[in-house]
Amino acid sequence: MANPRALDKRRKSVRNIRKITRTMELIATARYKQAMDRAAAATAYTDRITQIVKDLTASSLDFTHPLLEEHDSKENATLLVLTSNRGLCGGYNGGLCRATFPHVVDLKSEYGKLNLEIAGKKGIGLFRSQRKLEADETFTHFEDKPRYDEVEVIANRYLTQFVAGKLDRLDVSYTKFVSSSKQIPVIETLLPLGSLDGVGDDEAAAESMYEFFPSAQSILEEVVPTSFKVKLFKCFLDAAVSEQIARMVAMKSATENASDLIKQLSREYNRARQGRITNEIMEIIGGVEALNN
Amino acid sequence: MAQLKCIVVTPEATALETTADFVALPLFDGEIGIAPSHSPMIGRLGYGEMRIVSGGTTTRYYVDGGFVQVANNEVNVLTGKAVPAQEVSKVDAEQQLQAAMKQPTSSDELLAIRDRMVDQARAQIRVSQN
Repeated sequence: MANPRALDKRRKSVRNIRKITRTMELIATARYKQAMDRAAAATAYTDRITQIVKDLTASSLDFTHPLLEEHDSKENATLLVLTSNRGLCGGYNGGLCRATFPHVVDLKSEYGKLNLEIAGKKGIGLFRSQRKLEADETFTHFEDKPRYDEVEVIANRYLTQFVAGKLDRLDVSYTKFVSSSKQIPVIETLLPLGSLDGVGDDEAAAESMYEFFPSAQSILEEVVPTSFKVKLFKCFLDAAVSEQIARMVAMKSATENASDLIKQLSREYNRARQGRITNEIMEIIGGVEALNN
Repeated sequence: MAQLKCIVVTPEATALETTADFVALPLFDGEIGIAPSHSPMIGRLGYGEMRIVSGGTTTRYYVDGGFVQVANNEVNVLTGKAVPAQEVSKVDAEQQLQAAMKQPTSSDELLAIRDRMVDQARAQIRVSQN
């Protein structure tokens, strides 16, 4: 027969856990809203960059830039994996790493040397424990609010490497935010950039009304690196938003699980208590009957 | 009189959205003043001070490169950083200048990087002094 006191103790501890997971869920929700606002603010910037590119195209400009062109050599590639520093966020890190592992193999066979860079403690741990891969470079200073100047440092390093020919391809693996109910792990090639958003739009075909200082070409030279930096920054922001959503969902289901468990434990506890009382009554009645005889 | 709509965006946030009578911006080779009904233009920004005059009061910002787009009495400033001038620290900027001066200049690219850092630091010092 189950001991009611032990059951009660267990119920209490589950209740405490539920309190913690509920709080974590609330925190994740608040952080998600903040991260979402930041991502929306970044969109304002990218939209305007796209607009400028559109206006530049209108001035019938020859679009060539070293960052847009593929290198002939296939020597060095870099893969940047964006994971989180903290756990308790469901399948967020696991899913991303699982999607990335085959890509690591592909890149290794295609390029002479692969530079693996991982942001986030969890990703570093997962790569080490599951694939015995050590990262060449790690970043753990990105929390839930990646700052532009921090990302810019990394972006500038890639840019100089790429222009100097020391880097032929840069891939970023991160969790893309599609909607608040859908986030998917993706791998995107950021260098070479391929094409810029806004190039070749039909609306822009009309003659440009803008005057350019100093010239359209010179502005283009500046726009291309900037749009790369913003793209990379957007990846970090998306990863941050997705992490918070993943944590929110994980904590929500943990809270629900705890509630179910409490319900079940309560039922068992009540049954045990009832059983014990019935037992005692039976004993008393038995005793009374024995006395009467 | 018509007024300018001035919008300053950085990758992190929309730093400023206001109306103004006059805007002065640091272009790559000198300052440009934009009054209402300015002809449409796109320009490359340098490092320096942006002044926004609105109803007799002037607000000053430090902008860190980027672009400006002017059309239909709207001034769009895209920059990496936009800091109110009084928040620019002279001490930090001087340290950055010292550090930049020590950078190697063995190749053209490195020289360009150093020049950019020096320009950036000097512009910050200038802004913080005014």
